[in-house]
Amino acid sequence: MSYRVNSEFKSDLKKFGIAEQWNECFHCGNCTAVCPLTENGFLFPRQGIRVMQMGLKEKLATYVDPWLCYYCGECSETCPREANPAELMMTLRRYLTSVYDWTGLSKKIYTSKWWEFGSIIIIALLIIVGFLIYLPLKSGADAMVNQSGSVMINSLVEGISAGQFVRIIEIGDWTMAIIVAALLISNILNMFYKVILSDNAVKVPFGTYFTEFWRLIYNFATQAKFSKCDDRNYWVGHLLLMTGYSIMFALVVIALPLFQIEEIVPWYNWQRLLGYYATFGILFFLIQVTIGRIKKQDTKLKFSHPSDWLFIIMLALTTITGILVHIFRLNGMVEATYYLYIAHLAVLVPMIVIEVPFSKWSHLAYRPFAVYFSRLKKAAVKKIEYQRELAPAI
Amino acid sequence: MKEPKIGVYICWCGTNISHMVDVKAITEEIGDMPNIKVSRNYKYMCSDPGQDLIISDIKKHKLNRIVVAACSPRIHELTFRKAIENAGLNPYLFEMANIREQVSWVHTDIEAATEKAKSLVIAAISKVTHHEELERRTVDINPATLIIGGGITGMTAALDIAESGFKVYLIERDNKLGGVVSKVDLTFPYMSSAQQLIKSLINKVSNNKNIEVFFNTKIKEINGYVGNFETKLKLQKKARELKFGNMILATGLKPTDPESIHEIGYGRLPDVVTALEFEQMLIKGNIKTKAGKEPNNILIVHCVGSRNEKYNPYCSRTCCMTALKYSNQIRSALPKTSIYHAYSDMRAFGKGCEEFYSQTGRKNAVFLMYDQKNDIPTLRRAGKNDRCNIIAHMYEKLSGEDIEIPADIVILMISMEAHENVKQVAHAAGVSICSNGFFMEKHPKLDPIATTTDGVYIAGTCQSPKDIPDSVSQARAAAARILTSISVGKVEIELTTAVVNEDICGACHTCINVCPYSAISFDEEKKVSVVNEVICKGCGTCSSACPTGAISARHFTDKQILSQIEGLLAVSNKLSEKLEMEEV
Repeated sequence: MSYRVNSEFKSDLKKFGIAEQWNECFHCGNCTAVCPLTENGFLFPRQGIRVMQMGLKEKLATYVDPWLCYYCGECSETCPREANPAELMMTLRRYLTSVYDWTGLSKKIYTSKWWEFGSIIIIALLIIVGFLIYLPLKSGADAMVNQSGSVMINSLVEGISAGQFVRIIEIGDWTMAIIVAALLISNILNMFYKVILSDNAVKVPFGTYFTEFWRLIYNFATQAKFSKCDDRNYWVGHLLLMTGYSIMFALVVIALPLFQIEEIVPWYNWQRLLGYYATFGILFFLIQVTIGRIKKQDTKLKFSHPSDWLFIIMLALTTITGILVHIFRLNGMVEATYYLYIAHLAVLVPMIVIEVPFSKWSHLAYRPFAVYFSRLKKAAVKKIEYQRELAPAI
Repeated sequence: MKEPKIGVYICWCGTNISHMVDVKAITEEIGDMPNIKVSRNYKYMCSDPGQDLIISDIKKHKLNRIVVAACSPRIHELTFRKAIENAGLNPYLFEMANIREQVSWVHTDIEAATEKAKSLVIAAISKVTHHEELERRTVDINPATLIIGGGITGMTAALDIAESGFKVYLIERDNKLGGVVSKVDLTFPYMSSAQQLIKSLINKVSNNKNIEVFFNTKIKEINGYVGNFETKLKLQKKARELKFGNMILATGLKPTDPESIHEIGYGRLPDVVTALEFEQMLIKGNIKTKAGKEPNNILIVHCVGSRNEKYNPYCSRTCCMTALKYSNQIRSALPKTSIYHAYSDMRAFGKGCEEFYSQTGRKNAVFLMYDQKNDIPTLRRAGKNDRCNIIAHMYEKLSGEDIEIPADIVILMISMEAHENVKQVAHAAGVSICSNGFFMEKHPKLDPIATTTDGVYIAGTCQSPKDIPDSVSQARAAAARILTSISVGKVEIELTTAVVNEDICGACHTCINVCPYSAISFDEEKKVSVVNEVICKGCGTCSSACPTGAISARHFTDKQILSQIEGLLAVSNKLSEKLEMEEV
């Protein structure tokens, strides 16, 4: 099968990236040679640049390699033509996210600021308006402070009990989680179809799906592949973020009735310890990348797409509002706690609903699956080579 | 013949020779031989003190034969001849033995190398014993010049010579001047107009009184030699005889016949055009398919007929940059059209060309590399759903993918070949043709303008594929060479030529048929062969072919060569015996 070239593809791709020097590449292969992650069969980033230059769209859809790159930036630093291969891999990841997303929203959000900010603002407004109309602040809420002087957060709303309030929030959480999961899973199935099933050159042996499955879990939990990049500071920051965020997500979705309780328990209780760890992990990462993106000295943080900044801003706002809710509660500031709680949800919900299935955060699913799929492909190729070896010489 | 008094000089060449050849032993051994009056060795024979040594010995010992054993005669034969002449001796009473390139540089065994060097020296001594005095001669130069080819090269050279006040006959086989450049729209890399360039040249040539242009004319035969050539032109009304002292061949190029490359579909698919056909579209400002539509996709196929063993093994040098020029012109004329280049290597060596390549690369053209060795892109008619006229298939080398390229117009960057008249002109002018069909230069590096025939110069694409600056440089260089020879007015002719002993010539014409330079003619009155000493290069082909021994090469007579061989064998017989012993 031969792929059709397309000279227009480059301009389509421009909106997904910041740097555009990829045409400078003359395929010396320095980037591939210097990359600590490249291996036989996955010769990125040079091959990716070539496929992009030629505009082989169908080939790109089957191309899993950009997800195997963790953007250490060494290729861009080594490139004698300053073609910026690392930023291309980043751009291809954004592009591929839009390819896997069957709703088409991802492409709109990545390529149009109106869609990007508009969708977030609309969801935020819905939350705020919905809260103020249906869950208004109770009159006489000033009294909702317990003996230790902290705000009883579940008892601030007019007309419903604390138990009912937690239930409403919990139902909302689960609804959101299920919608996001459904979108992500369908996108991953789409990715699986494109990467594995539609690539005629690859026939994966059935057993391999099971024997390689452990990689998916292992890479999600440890990001072992990321750790092979030469600069491990960034991996540490990212691991803190990933574990912190996962813990926080589990606390507010699965364990909400145990986490969001009326009493403020002593600091050594598990809820607070986990909460503090998560906050620390997220803050650490946020500070690390914000400084990096402003300084623009580190190659991997030099080029910031609007979606990169939006991600940082949303996460920072969520964290800051979360911390403020906690502080106001501790100090018995009832009204401030109520409004900050709304603000917290008004940032958190659009962040998860938009970022996770359609934008930057989708990589939490695509990356480990890409490692899994790449192993499947490699096993298939090995089997073909093995059969070739067995075939009688003609 | 006077009794030979021979001086032998062995050069050390610093350590170049002396590290491998025992020069002192040879000097001593040679000194004992008969007729040797002086035998010396010296660090650098070619240096002034070295030459002075020879001169003072000639005067002191009344030497009448000199042998120098040193480097190749190509390097220093003339140096020593001049020294000997300064000492009052005829320069031809000299022989050189090459014991550097042929001995010290190529051997590793000192003893064997010394033996070999000795045998070469003795061979030279044996030969020089039979050398005769030869007298130098000069001929006058006719200041008129003949230039064949009225393209940019021929016209530039013609103007340089004519503007110095000398007559130029400019021969053009077509009915107008301008050549291939007149069929081109813009030039690379600065995108200046080729039309303006060539039109102003044509104007200057037409208005120059010293230039006489002959249209629709071909050269059949040229007689004579440097300084005094002549040719007869058959014009429409009357015959015309031209006399001239020098000539420049500027016959130009011919594009390869694209139909000979069948994968590429020229003639089979309507919208496959050659570069020159596309230039016509550009000149008219009308880039359209045969059906009259604006093309959405244009594919430019590079190296069609070049760098391919099946067609022409060489690079045509201008096509890469011409293709980039098209890329730029298409981009400005049709901003939305996709441009694809199927290339096999990009060569941007000229001034401003690499910059031109980088700039063009940024103007949204896709460069696709094919493997010239086994896969020229193949073209087929597109299907209904392809939304284009032609589909090209190729293996893209850098990505390792089989790809298809949509195209509405395909431009073939056809290779440059020497013009088909080259053989005829080469025969008439007495110059050689290289394996690729172009005129052969005298020396590929040191003298790419001259040919082995004195007074005949080559310039432009008849020598090898070239762009305009290179062709014009060669044209002006050739003109400068000719103006030099006109200003000297006389030319010295080589004396090592063939000579006929009329008494024993059998009039068999053998020598006339074998002479590669057409230097021998037949005297119908005397019924003997006559050698034109100006044209003869002294190659000796005639003297070895002559059945009666009537014709011999001066300075390389049978006697001289046989004695040289005897001298060589005297030592080498001993040497081979010794080598056989070692092998046993």
